[in-house]
Amino acid sequence: MSGATEFDAVVVGAGPAGSAAAIALARAGRSVVLVERGPFPGSKNVYGGVVYGRILDQIVPAWWEEVPVERWIVRRSTMMMTGTQSLSVDYRSQAWADRPYNGMTTVRSRFDRWLAGKATDAGARLVTSTVATGLVRDASGRICGVHTDRGDGDLRARVVVACDGVNSFLAKEAGLLPPAEASHHTLGVKEVLDLPRSVIDERFGLTGDEGTDIEILGCTRGIPGGGFLYTNADTVSVGVVLSLPHLAAAGVRPEELIADLKEHPSIAPYLRGATLREYAAHLIPEGGYDAMPTLATDGMLVAGDAAAMTLAAGIWLEGVNFAIGSGLAAGRAVDRAIGAGDCSAAGLASYRADLEAQFVLADHKRFRRAPSLILSERVQQRYPGFLCDMAEELFTVTNPTPKPGGLRATRIAAARHGVTLRALAADTLRALRVFG
Amino acid sequence: MGEPVAGRPSGGKRTEPGAGPNRTGGQTGPLVVACVRIVDLRPHVDPLTGRITRDPAGLGLPAPDAAALEHALRIGEAWSGRVVVAAAGPSPAPGGTPDAVLGELAALGATVVHLAEAGPAVHGRDRDMAETALRHPGTERPAATDSGALWELTADEGALARRIVNALSPFGVPAAVLCGDRSPDRGTGALPGFLAHELGAAQALGAVAVAPGDGHLLVDRRLDGGWRERLRVPCPAVCSVEGGGVRLRRATLPALLAAGPTAVHPAAPVRGGTVDGAREGSGPGPVTLRILGPPRPYRPRTRIVAPPADPDPRIRLLELTGALEAHDPPTVLGPIGAPEAADALVDFLVRHGYLDAPLPGAPARAGAP
Ligand SMILES: Cc1cc2nc3c(=O)[nH]c(=O)nc-3n(C[C@H](O)[C@H](O)[C@H](O)COP(=O)(O)OP(=O)(O)OC[C@H]3O[C@@H](n4cnc5c(N)ncnc54)[C@H](O)[C@@H]3O)c2cc1C
Repeated sequence: MSGATEFDAVVVGAGPAGSAAAIALARAGRSVVLVERGPFPGSKNVYGGVVYGRILDQIVPAWWEEVPVERWIVRRSTMMMTGTQSLSVDYRSQAWADRPYNGMTTVRSRFDRWLAGKATDAGARLVTSTVATGLVRDASGRICGVHTDRGDGDLRARVVVACDGVNSFLAKEAGLLPPAEASHHTLGVKEVLDLPRSVIDERFGLTGDEGTDIEILGCTRGIPGGGFLYTNADTVSVGVVLSLPHLAAAGVRPEELIADLKEHPSIAPYLRGATLREYAAHLIPEGGYDAMPTLATDGMLVAGDAAAMTLAAGIWLEGVNFAIGSGLAAGRAVDRAIGAGDCSAAGLASYRADLEAQFVLADHKRFRRAPSLILSERVQQRYPGFLCDMAEELFTVTNPTPKPGGLRATRIAAARHGVTLRALAADTLRALRVFG
Repeated sequence: MGEPVAGRPSGGKRTEPGAGPNRTGGQTGPLVVACVRIVDLRPHVDPLTGRITRDPAGLGLPAPDAAALEHALRIGEAWSGRVVVAAAGPSPAPGGTPDAVLGELAALGATVVHLAEAGPAVHGRDRDMAETALRHPGTERPAATDSGALWELTADEGALARRIVNALSPFGVPAAVLCGDRSPDRGTGALPGFLAHELGAAQALGAVAVAPGDGHLLVDRRLDGGWRERLRVPCPAVCSVEGGGVRLRRATLPALLAAGPTAVHPAAPVRGGTVDGAREGSGPGPVTLRILGPPRPYRPRTRIVAPPADPDPRIRLLELTGALEAHDPPTVLGPIGAPEAADALVDFLVRHGYLDAPLPGAPARAGAP
């Protein structure tokens, strides 16, 4: 141990959070080593598929010219469905098809590698195929590095930045993250399906590099969660996100739910003839603001999913941009702490202040009650059917019987799904408060 | 282990293996070389078109090459020698995977000579390189290209061997060269033979195990039925090894951190013709052979039977098939139930001496009276 090289910082995990932290540190002139367990950054990483890239403006000017993009999202659709119906709010903007863009589909094995490349370009040392197995502490118990699974594998540093993703073992070992609470996690499963590029363009109404993002509610057999369908260049990603305890209680296999979704009459025509390329699953920390760990302790910070920073607020599922934002803030905070010669929890406290001042904690705070609303029984099990039936009442032509009118259609659908108008009003108000 | 017998038994002009200038900090032990190829280990093959898509993310050492390197490191240790890795692969991009693979190789304590393949297949977003795109339009012959993915096919392996030997020349003449026995990138497996030719070395291909000896390598190869042959291959020797058997060690963390891009030497440009000092000897020494029995499982010896004597080849053939021997005529027993059928089979086996007769007092079988 005594012979171990000392760095200013060790960043564990070359996901978006870790690479961003390493970029901030290396650009500030700090010596930083980025430890990644996979053979290359992104090799272990699973997500749905859409990255909102505005945060990249802080890292690479005109990043869109070099980022490994699959398609630029120009169409966002929110679909509510029952077994046989669907109702969509479909938004399309050509403004998103051009610089500076809004969202993009990208493959993590390429995106993460690209971002980690920015860290090594700036001078960070990337060490791959190496697992951080625990924290190194000095005689006083203060964290001063990590053990790894390589021979002579201790890395000493003034600060450890834990960016090791959801269910962070390092944050737990440091006493920052309490034992995992199942109800604060969802399981995301997805399939990547091969489809020729021209077929994707035709079926989704896209041209060139344009892409679609469809978020779906009501496709999970009542298990709180949702589904998604994203277009990549010549593949599509289709998947579901499921509340962990409810999934366990339901005794359903997640792949059955993807199979259901793929067979749904509103989805199947998009996917006809597609062949399976990949299947993947990963946990998502969806507890939100109230489930976040303490972010700093003496000699250590936690960022990204390790700090439960995915924003899962119904129509938004954003994790990568939050990870990058928090990673950058962590890097800046460590730089400041080293500059001030104080890497204790107090010296690193500017990290939280920085996050509060920008979107990462501001958005989380604003939408802190969104997870419980979105995953509530009514939103998950009653409203998709209620809204679809309401649309059906409105759009079914029943001549010679006169049209029912909006209010009556609502009453009929509400009664069918056990939704009282009082509960509906309460939920509308709640939604306004949560998202307003 | 003693020093390998490095040169020819009698005075050829060839350079002594292992002698000559070296770039490895003054060590002068025998030179052990591992020739490896950095390739995409998991290229995507389009099931419909057969189009191959390669991705830099998949770059790594194929299992046989990794085994060759581990053998080289062990032999180098046993001989207190120098180990040089001749690594063919895509040009390193800063922070990219080829860089990481080369760094890992350098961290193993070997000197790495990189034979860069200017591979469009593995750079930037050009992951969709189709093999067909590299062919001359209208011909089956691959275009004369320096594409990394097709290098081994497009340039002949003799040229590749010359290039490798040329790149190694600043380090001296190798006492032992280890290669993988096959490449997942559709190599022909002929490279070790060409290398042996270029170096005037003895060769043993397809080894399961290689052990350093005193002036020779002990090479085990597979024979049928789990048998092995053990070759005593005099140095200089070129050996290709199977992927199993040994696992490539992992670099320690300090070594990995110390190994930067500077630890990797770019190979010198290709020179034509024979490499200086390499093939001027009187040819490789004799390889001696011993057959080793398989440790287990035990298999009884083959029963030797006299060959059929009949002058008519047709009859000899029939005799060999056993067709001329008396056989039980086919018997139709059924239709009968399963227990009766089982009894009939057991009776048959007892009748022909394959099973002992049931003991008196044994439970009656289904069909028995
Ligand atoms: C199914 C699914 C769909 C999603 N969809 C989206 C989406 O569409 N858009 C979006 O923005 N977000 C999405 N997310 C969330 C997003 O993936 C995460 O928020 C984001 O990846 C977090 O980044 P991170 O760097 O914190 O962690 P990660 O991306 O998990 O990276 C952690 C890194 O640490 C490494 N690591 C872990 N432990 C160790 C160790 N001990 N030693 C060394 N290395 C280690 C891992 O290999 C990995 O590279 C989705 C997530 C899932 C699971």
